Parts: sequence; structure tokens; C-alpha cells
Amino acid sequence: MVEQVTKRFGGFTALSDVSIRVEDGSFCVLLGPSGCGKSTLLNIIAGLIPQDAGRVLVDGEAVDHLSPRERDVAMVFQTYALYPHMTVAENLGFGLKMRGVSKSIIRDRIEEAAQLLGIGELLKRKPRELSGGQRQRVAMGRALVRRPRLFLFDEPLSNLDARLRANVRLELKRIHGQIKGTVVYVTHDQVEAMTLGDAVVVMKAGRVHQAAPPQVIYDKPADRFVATFIGSPEMNIFSGSLVREAGRSFFKGKGFSLDLGEAAPAGEFGEALEIGIRPEDMGILPQGAPPLEAEVDLVSNIGSEIVVHARLGEEWINIRAPKDATLQPGDRVSVSITPERLHWFKNGKRA
Amino acid sequence: MGDRMMKKWGRERIETCIIRVLRIAGICFFLLIVAFPFYWMIASSLKSLEELLLTPAGLGIDVARIRLDAYREVLFEHGFLQYITNSAYVSVITVLLSLTLATIGGYAVTRLRFRGQAFMSYSILVIYMFPAIVLVIPLYVVFSRMGLRDSMHVLILVYLAQTLPVALYMLRSYFRSLPVEIEYAGLTDGCTRLGVIRRIIIPLSAPALAGVALYTFMIAWNEFLFAFMFLDSPEKFTLSRGVVQLAGSVHLSKQLVMAASVLVTFPVVILFLVFERHLVRGLTAGAMKG
Repeated sequence: MVEQVTKRFGGFTALSDVSIRVEDGSFCVLLGPSGCGKSTLLNIIAGLIPQDAGRVLVDGEAVDHLSPRERDVAMVFQTYALYPHMTVAENLGFGLKMRGVSKSIIRDRIEEAAQLLGIGELLKRKPRELSGGQRQRVAMGRALVRRPRLFLFDEPLSNLDARLRANVRLELKRIHGQIKGTVVYVTHDQVEAMTLGDAVVVMKAGRVHQAAPPQVIYDKPADRFVATFIGSPEMNIFSGSLVREAGRSFFKGKGFSLDLGEAAPAGEFGEALEIGIRPEDMGILPQGAPPLEAEVDLVSNIGSEIVVHARLGEEWINIRAPKDATLQPGDRVSVSITPERLHWFKNGKRA
Repeated sequence: MGDRMMKKWGRERIETCIIRVLRIAGICFFLLIVAFPFYWMIASSLKSLEELLLTPAGLGIDVARIRLDAYREVLFEHGFLQYITNSAYVSVITVLLSLTLATIGGYAVTRLRFRGQAFMSYSILVIYMFPAIVLVIPLYVVFSRMGLRDSMHVLILVYLAQTLPVALYMLRSYFRSLPVEIEYAGLTDGCTRLGVIRRIIIPLSAPALAGVALYTFMIAWNEFLFAFMFLDSPEKFTLSRGVVQLAGSVHLSKQLVMAASVLVTFPVVILFLVFERHLVRGLTAGAMKG
């Protein structure tokens, strides 16, 4: 799809050597913090801005020499970018009209898309008479009616309020299931990425950190950044080293020591390593007891469960616990960690 | 007393009152300064020569004695019909050319990246810094040598050179305020660059285009210096040139000059009233998330 694309803005490298592959008919999410170059990549795929190096391929053909018009892609913008001087119907039909599609087909497609998105009553209105959510639907409809080779979404939900966002997210998934288009979707919201994506590409500072199905991203993060970026509360990371005592392996952290049992750990003894453990992969027992004893600092109740923020040795740790656990700040608790659930990182990379 | 009033009315209310009175007084003052010459011009143009000569300082208009003779005379006996046509021709062509060139040029310096873009962008206004009087003599010489003088088309060229910098500047700042995503949407929807300009930029820029059109029209319609220097044959005179010709002619009739002046002034005033509503209204409402 995209091969070794590089883009510089002056001295700033927005994308360096980015390659991604999107399977036909699949939903690929580009995920990353703001400014990581994901929108730039989308604009390059659309042909709106030229890349400095690398190639963009659609269906195996290079499209770099083609104008946006010829690439046959449709894009949904974060700001929606509706044509304010046209009605909703004209907005929807504009792309087809520009491509010389006959009026009756345009009418049918508009009808179809309006029904799919539930905007049938709005067709005669101007964008300024619509609410944010309605504008967002029109923006999606404008892409849908085109039936392009490729859909590009640039953070389409980020300007909706939380409830609406969740609804539209589900709807988007349903619509994609119906039309089976190939989608590249940019977002900084990990929930969107995990729920929508068949594949997730995690990016940071113009580089791809990992490209894999959502579950793999979550279960086997390729590096420290992916590990902490995905998941909320974020993964606990401790630095330390491996030691061997009396036939057993131990991870020596700052102020605590973790018994790894007989299991042969990934890494060599004595070298600096990091371990990561997700907040839900730990157990918590009310009575403080060695070997892992922690002191509760804060308890956040999020309704379905509680998140315990505690001090383990010299490190801070987040643990998800059942909501019926009655814990108070200052309580001493015992933490249990299953060694198999640990993520090992060496120099920031998965070991 | 003052204290009690303060208490009763409150400082803020008194201040609001004073500001309101001052504002009305200010508006009246400026209105008087601006409107009086206009009134004088119109009133004089509606009177007969005898009336003007009898009461030169008469301010009132005697409704019963209003006569449009002066207009008839100016239009049909002094060639002003021709001058109006000439002025309209010159102005309209200047407006159309100026709009076309400024739209394309303004778009180019706003959105397209090319070598010297910044230089072009900033040098636009520098051209405008040269006063017309500095240019008129050299241009007179150049056009005389080229045999192009005494032509309305040369006037159009000069007016274009005069108005284009400001037109470009106005449109450039307006184009900059248009969200680039709308253009991106147009491009992915299948427009060419020119298609984007025609179908998206121009409709959205209607207020700015109206402003530019009005500005250009006013300059071209009212311009005198170049018209005075470049035009020799009366059948090519523009209105302002015609008025001066009339004022300088032997039999000086004030009501004729005033009628001619009204003819010069009113099209601009009417145009302004027509376009005024379009000038301020922003058209991008509703495009974005808002």
C-alpha cells in the first residue's frame, strides 16, 4: 500500500520511511498521539500533498503520479469540510457530479446513503442549519456515495461529544460490515482503534512502531511505547535486572524483587531490562505480606471496578481490582503477579 | 445634588447616557460634513440658471420649480450619454479583468507552492506605493511614442495596474481565511485546481469578490488624472474627464456642472447600497465542525 514514504516540512521530518499494507476490504486504523504524522500520511495517500520519497500503491499500481481526482479515493475530514454553499443533497452528490455520473444514479445513491445514515430529512438543508453530529453524517455520506476504491477517514469522530461518538462508532462498524470498503482510518483514540480496526498501525514521531491486529497489539506490544500507549490505565513498567538465586530467577526492581519461579526468563542475567504488567493482570490481597507488599495511595472508583494506585518499593503501580474490594489509602496489601503475563523489554523493544 | 443623582441613577447608567448622547452628536456632525455638499450638488442641479443667479446662497428647494432641464441638456447636448457609456465600458471591463486576475493570482500566492512565492506575495503591495502622479508623465511619454494614447483600452490597462495590487491583497487575505480542507474535499471529490476555484472558492468568496468589484469600479469610474492626460478626443472621454471639460467651457452654467456631478456620483452610491449587504456576510458558516 504505502512503501517507505518520507515527508519533510522544512527541517522537520513528519514521516520517515513509513510502510504500511492494507488488505483489500479491511479496516486499517492509524493510531498515534497528535503530531505523529498520521494525518500527513493520509493526505499523501489521497494525493493532496506530495511525499519526498517512497511510493503509494493502490491495488498494486503506483498512484504517485495521479492527482487526487484520478486516485479515486474519498476522504472524511476531521472538520467535515462540507461545502457551505450547497445543500446536503448537493454536498453528497458533488463527487459523482464531478465524475460525470448520470443524474438518476446520483439521486439513487444519495437516497441510499441518506437512508443508511438516517439523514433523509436533511437533504434540502444547508450545512449551517445542521448540528455537529448531522454534519458529521453528511461528511461520511459524501464519501459513501462515491463508492471509491479507498476510504480515508481523518479523525472523523473527534469533534463529537462522548455519547454521540460511541454511537457513531458502532454505526461505522456496522456500515463497514455492509459495504465492505477498504478503509484507512486515522485516530488518536485507542478505543476507536481497538473496536474498529481489523489492523492497527501504531505510529509515533513519523515512525511505525507496530502494525498488527488489535488483539496482538494489546497482548504482544512490540515495544515500550506501544505497551504504554494502548490500554487504560496504562501498563505498569518497571526497570531492573534479572538475578539468579538458589536455582530460582528473580527480577530485581527498585525496592522490590519478583520471584519468577523456575521459568526461564527472556533475557540474560545481570543486564538492564524492563518488565511491563497490565493493571488487570495482577491480583491484590487485603493483608500486606511479602514478597510483594504495596501501600495503597489512592483508590479510584470507576463504577464497574476500582483502580488502585499504590507504592511498590520505589515504584508506583496501578492495579485494577473488583469493585467490592474495600481498600483505603494507607492500607498495606499484597500484590500477586503471574510471571507468564509479564512483558519484557530490552532497550525499549519487546524481548 | 450630584451625589444624590449618582445614587439614584447609578454611575453606569449616567455613563451610558453620556456616551449615547455623544455618539449621536458625533454621527450628526459627520453626517452634516459629508452630506451637505451632496445636498448642495443635488439641489443646485435641480434649479434653473436664473434661480441660481438670483439667490446664489439659497439652500432650500422649491418643489414647484424643480426642473430636470439641466440633466437633459447635459446628457443630450453636452455628450454625457457618450461619457457615461465610456465610463461604464472602462469600469466594467476593468472590474472583470481585475476580478479574474486577482482571483487566480490571489489563489496562487495563497495556496500553491512555487519559487519566489513569498517574494511575489509581498511585492504585490509595493507596486501600489508609487503615487500616480509619478507614473503619469513617463506613461504619457511611453504611450505617446507607442501611439497608444487617446484610447480607452490604455486607460483600462492603467486602472488595472492601479487596482490589481489591492484587489490581490484583499482576496489573498480572504482566501487564507477559507479552510484548506474544503479544497481538499473538492480535490478528492474530483475537481481540478481550476474546478476548485470555480465551484468552491468563488462561491465562498462572494463577499470579498463583491468588495473587490466595488473598489475597482469606484477607482475606474472616478479616476481623473490618467483620463485627463491620456484622452484627447471628446468621443472617448470618461465622465470625470467630461465634467472638467464642461466646467472649463466658456458658458459656465453651474446647474449643468452640478447635474453632471450627480451623474458621476450616483452610480457608485447605488452600487454601494446594492452590494453593501453582501460585503460583510461570511459565507463559510456551517462548513466546519462548529
